[in-house]
Amino acid sequence: MHDRPDAAELLEAIADLLEREVIAATEGGLQHRVRVAGNLCRILEREMQLGPEIEAREREALVSLLGPHAAGERDLRELNRLLMARFDAGADPSFERRAWQVLLAITRDKLRIVKPGHDDYDFAAEVVT
Amino acid sequence: MSESYEGTRKGLERYLSELWDQPIAIDRLTVASAGARRQNLLFELRRQGEPLALCATVIPTPDMQLVDVEVEAASLRFAETAGVPVPHVYAVCSDPSYTGGPFFVTGRIEGESIPRRVLRLVESHAGLGARLARQSGGALAKLHAAPVENAHPALIGPGDSTPSRFALNLLRLEMAELLQPSPAFRLVLRWLEENEPPPPSRVTVIHSDFRNGNIIVGPDGLRASLDWEGCRLGDPMEDLGWLCVRMWRFRNDELEVGGFATRDELRAGYVAAGGIWDEASFHWWKTKGTLSWGLGLAKQARQHLDGSFRSIIMAASGRRVAELEYDALMLLRGSYGDPAPDSG
Repeated sequence: MHDRPDAAELLEAIADLLEREVIAATEGGLQHRVRVAGNLCRILEREMQLGPEIEAREREALVSLLGPHAAGERDLRELNRLLMARFDAGADPSFERRAWQVLLAITRDKLRIVKPGHDDYDFAAEVVT
Repeated sequence: MSESYEGTRKGLERYLSELWDQPIAIDRLTVASAGARRQNLLFELRRQGEPLALCATVIPTPDMQLVDVEVEAASLRFAETAGVPVPHVYAVCSDPSYTGGPFFVTGRIEGESIPRRVLRLVESHAGLGARLARQSGGALAKLHAAPVENAHPALIGPGDSTPSRFALNLLRLEMAELLQPSPAFRLVLRWLEENEPPPPSRVTVIHSDFRNGNIIVGPDGLRASLDWEGCRLGDPMEDLGWLCVRMWRFRNDELEVGGFATRDELRAGYVAAGGIWDEASFHWWKTKGTLSWGLGLAKQARQHLDGSFRSIIMAASGRRVAELEYDALMLLRGSYGDPAPDSG
């Protein structure tokens, strides 16, 4: 067992340093890079907290979507590759509709880590049917 | 300005003195932007006693030049002739003996070009957003109406293919280079493949990166369109779709055109200036542009990881891919999703 602070708490401390002190002491391009680095620390902080739960949900969703095509596969990268292969195999409108729902849910989960709130906008005014 | 630009200043002075056959002294040189691949320098001078405020776009070394400065300058001149507001080109030089690399010099146009500042300006002037969108539509319609045979022959285009077919082939190549599978992008590509728009009635000159961030805006509206590096031949609706990609709204998501106006204003300006607007094609190109930008972000992460361009910005781009996956999937909700919750 690691001593406190844990990884998420340390990332928070680094992000605080970057955002509260280093940004004020820099300018121009370097200041922009520091801001980006601070934001990456925040992303990692959320990934430490939410990552395992989100990955488990992605695995379940892909296994369920792929059905027999998943063939006992549990590796996320491989499951995603299998889904790509399923699309490559040819058009299947009803499968594509189900896949769209699943992929949207997975993407919303990823956004909880990398850009919370990005999915508040729903494109309702931009729909073309 | 800093010592590092002294050589560039001397090179520009020498070139312009030879070009105009009179001694030229550059004054008030400042750096407007200094990217790795190109720098924009602002300065003033007198030519035959007349004061000129100019901007030099300088590529540090010849091997950093992606598009020949002669071609980019020709596109600016083509646009100016067509009636598109652009900076006037005063000089173009491919000879690296003056500043170390190729460069071109244009007039300087005052106004806002940083996207958030453009949006602040729009918010503080009633009606400016709508005017800007109509002017943008008008500028693009004029560009698209201009005779293709007058464009620089080196402009790339779809050749014997159609613009959408050409774009799909590029997307497939970019998709094949992804470091990790993206079924979301693959599904979007599938939709693009199955919903290809009919070819445009004319393949035209297009800007390809006309958006909030590449325009100069004043309280009177659109003053200039910048960054003609990507100018090429294509489907005119590509320019309109790209201008409306969510990425260029800078959080003003409800205003589809660059975060400053609705699509209706853009369409009205485009049609009033003679453009032919095709709604299905517009949506296709907007979706294509969203996917392209997502694949571009993934490419930036790849360049960081393979060492060809190490940078924390490029690394961070990899974690922005999910934003574009979401945007692209949501653009397909009319085809794959449930009816919109507020549509009954």
